[in-house]
Amino acid sequence: MLNWGQKQRAPDTGVVALPAPDCTLVTSLVFPKFLSAVGRRERPVLLDLGPVIGSNVQFFTERLTCKLHIEDLFQEIEAAARMRVRHGLEAALFKRLGQGPESVDGILCWDVFDFLDRTAGVALASHLETLLRRGGALYGFFGTTAIDLNHYTRFIVKREDRFELRPVPATPVKRRVLVTREISMMFEGLMSADSVLRKSGTRETLFRRPA
Amino acid sequence: MHIGKSVVVKGQLTGSEDLTIEGTIEGTIELRQNVLTIGSSGKIKAQIVAKAVIVQGEVHGNITATDKVEIRDTGSVDGDLTAPRIAISEGAHFRGAIDMQRSGTEPKSDDRVAPDKAPTLTGPASATARAPVR
Repeated sequence: MLNWGQKQRAPDTGVVALPAPDCTLVTSLVFPKFLSAVGRRERPVLLDLGPVIGSNVQFFTERLTCKLHIEDLFQEIEAAARMRVRHGLEAALFKRLGQGPESVDGILCWDVFDFLDRTAGVALASHLETLLRRGGALYGFFGTTAIDLNHYTRFIVKREDRFELRPVPATPVKRRVLVTREISMMFEGLMSADSVLRKSGTRETLFRRPA
Repeated sequence: MHIGKSVVVKGQLTGSEDLTIEGTIEGTIELRQNVLTIGSSGKIKAQIVAKAVIVQGEVHGNITATDKVEIRDTGSVDGDLTAPRIAISEGAHFRGAIDMQRSGTEPKSDDRVAPDKAPTLTGPASATARAPVR
């Protein structure tokens, strides 16, 4: 819960609160670049494909002075997983994404592509490309090990370069592993601005739409 | 002022005192100088303009506040939020856009609310009192 009038961002002392049990605190090399790219734009519009997190809302609106759209695609993914049907998932995802072409300056995908099959992943990627304005940025995580995913991850922004990763239960699905080349091909209309393979076995990627 | 669970209002709801809604409202709600609380039983399908809005129940529609919007853990909003301060508790449902206006910015709306009025029903509105569900 946020408290009115309190400053939410921790002072830049290098100290952040300890994560809750089962949570992991990670440092990001790529996320600050995403914030920098979006923050340079005039009154940016940000699209978050993850669940609503109060502290993230506060962080993004204060840091970027942006308009923030929240479209939790994980709800559609979970609904499809529960019904054990994957067809029709693309339509459900697109129905959520009602933003117009070239209307968004930044897209936060988090790890949504890990939960999609090839067809849905490619379709979503090309749709997201159309939403990005020229010079816009897209940020995502991609797992590198083919395991059963039995939880979703909430990415709670603690600082410009630090997340708390909080697991929440999910209907298990097999992770679809994408190699770097496949990721690049999925977003062929975008330029890979940065890509970092983390020790945890996830790849953190920043794409930019050429200006 | 309190609107109970059994009350259904269709139309425009305006006023100049704080209001708590536990019932069902369809239409528009304007409390520009006051706090609107949607209780955990409240179901709102309306455009809302108020000084502050606290959501514990369900809202389908856009919310504009000159001070703050707060969605508590039992709250659910499908619609856009415009306010200088927004708080969303863990467990709350939200789908839409968030635009944090700077403090003191007048919310966008063509309609002005007549001052010095308690919450009233105006226009082609109707209020229906239903027997409580047993």
